[in-house]
Amino acid sequence: MAVLEVRGVSKTFRIPDAHRDTVRAHALALFRPRRFRDLRVLDAVSLELGKGETLGIMGRNGSGKSTLLKIIAGIYAPEHGEVHRHAAITPILELGLGWNPELDAVDNVYLIGAVMGFTLSEIRAAMGEILAFAEVEAFANLKLHHYSTGMAARLAYAVAFHTVREVLVLDEVFAVGDVGFVARCQQRYRELSAAGHAILLVSHDRRTVSQFCHRALLLEGGRIVMNDAPEKVCDEYFRLLTAGR
Amino acid sequence: MSPAAPDALRPAAVSGLLWTLVRTDFKTRYQPTIGGFVWALLKPFTMFVVLMAVFSFIFGGDPTYRYHLIIGLFLWDFFAEATKTGLVALQVKGYLLNKVKFPGWVFVVTSASNALVTLAVFCAAITVFLASAGRAPGAAALGLFLLYLAHYAVIVVGFSLAASVLFLRYRDLNQVWGVAIQAGFFVAPIIYPLSIIPERFHFLLYLWPPTPIIQFSRAVLVDGAIPTAKAHALLTLETLVILGAGILVFRAFAPRVAEYL
Repeated sequence: MAVLEVRGVSKTFRIPDAHRDTVRAHALALFRPRRFRDLRVLDAVSLELGKGETLGIMGRNGSGKSTLLKIIAGIYAPEHGEVHRHAAITPILELGLGWNPELDAVDNVYLIGAVMGFTLSEIRAAMGEILAFAEVEAFANLKLHHYSTGMAARLAYAVAFHTVREVLVLDEVFAVGDVGFVARCQQRYRELSAAGHAILLVSHDRRTVSQFCHRALLLEGGRIVMNDAPEKVCDEYFRLLTAGR
Repeated sequence: MSPAAPDALRPAAVSGLLWTLVRTDFKTRYQPTIGGFVWALLKPFTMFVVLMAVFSFIFGGDPTYRYHLIIGLFLWDFFAEATKTGLVALQVKGYLLNKVKFPGWVFVVTSASNALVTLAVFCAAITVFLASAGRAPGAAALGLFLLYLAHYAVIVVGFSLAASVLFLRYRDLNQVWGVAIQAGFFVAPIIYPLSIIPERFHFLLYLWPPTPIIQFSRAVLVDGAIPTAKAHALLTLETLVILGAGILVFRAFAPRVAEYL
């Protein structure tokens, strides 16, 4: 049974020839209409994610991976096509969650946990584990703007791994932290997969995709050009990379 | 943690979410110090002292001028602060909207919460001020005053819904609104009595939302008069029009909010 169905999703961004994002700019150029260029980022993309399945997505920069994940997570609206979510999704996009730099780690975890739909008592119960997983217990009351990029990203993964609903959507997993942290992420990731969570994983890393994914897709120019075994998709991806040089 | 229901917040999660949003907004804004909060009160009170000193020479003949002035200033300050905060409500929560699917209107509505906390303190301050002058308002007057404040809060939410999505497309809207607020201070009869303006212009002044709220509040709290049923109906109509327009604009722009963050 599919927990996620993407049917013919397309997305086009209209790129103006002149950037106007203020009332002043619009008023000054009232009689100079802008021309728009359509940039098709996704073109009739369809995919299914089965219960307990781990699906890898590979693709060069600009191939539409991030836009696809944002549409799947419900952050962007598709222009055409439909996304059917039969289970709740926990997204972790662009190496992080939304942090308020003016709040400390504990308040940020409360904020993101609450936005993800957890009750305060559930967040309180998981707080110790989250801080320990991210190795930031000693800095729990430090504002996030004092955190290094790595610390903030580790905290993001810790929250995501402990607030997983049915489906986990991960962009560039295991790209942060030292060897020990990556090993713990991989361990936690295996536990989630074994517990029957479906996972959608975007990665440029051959080892991650071939080691953790049951199946993989290759995105190129906004289209799915390959849907096959992870090893084969990795081979084609690296062939595209070298051909593109 | 146990998984939550797909795409639906449980009641316990909703109350926790609202509390967390209000608490963290408050913390960010006032940096958990009493000083920050006292500052919010100090601003309109300082204005009161200065304006009272200057304008009592002009309007000193009216024994209720000082009460009218303080009510006008406190109510105006709520409007100015709450609309400024509401306008940037989505932009300041961009770090969340860009990462998680979440109804943005919740951020807009809760953005007014801290201004509401300040308003509650303003109300207490107004009541104490009136009581200390031997003009303690009765229960009916306070009830009507609270009704007007409820209208006021709805007006602010309606404005914020529209302004918060438009601000993401027009990044100088906060400056435009800053100018409007500066001019609006003089459009609303805060430092002058409405009676000095020819009556044929009153209707126009009443279209500016703070005007009816301030005038009606003064009527019930200070003058012991209750505005007519028609006046109340018009205030409710104005409130609903602003809320309706805000919802329509928000619905039109909200689906693409994350693309403009």
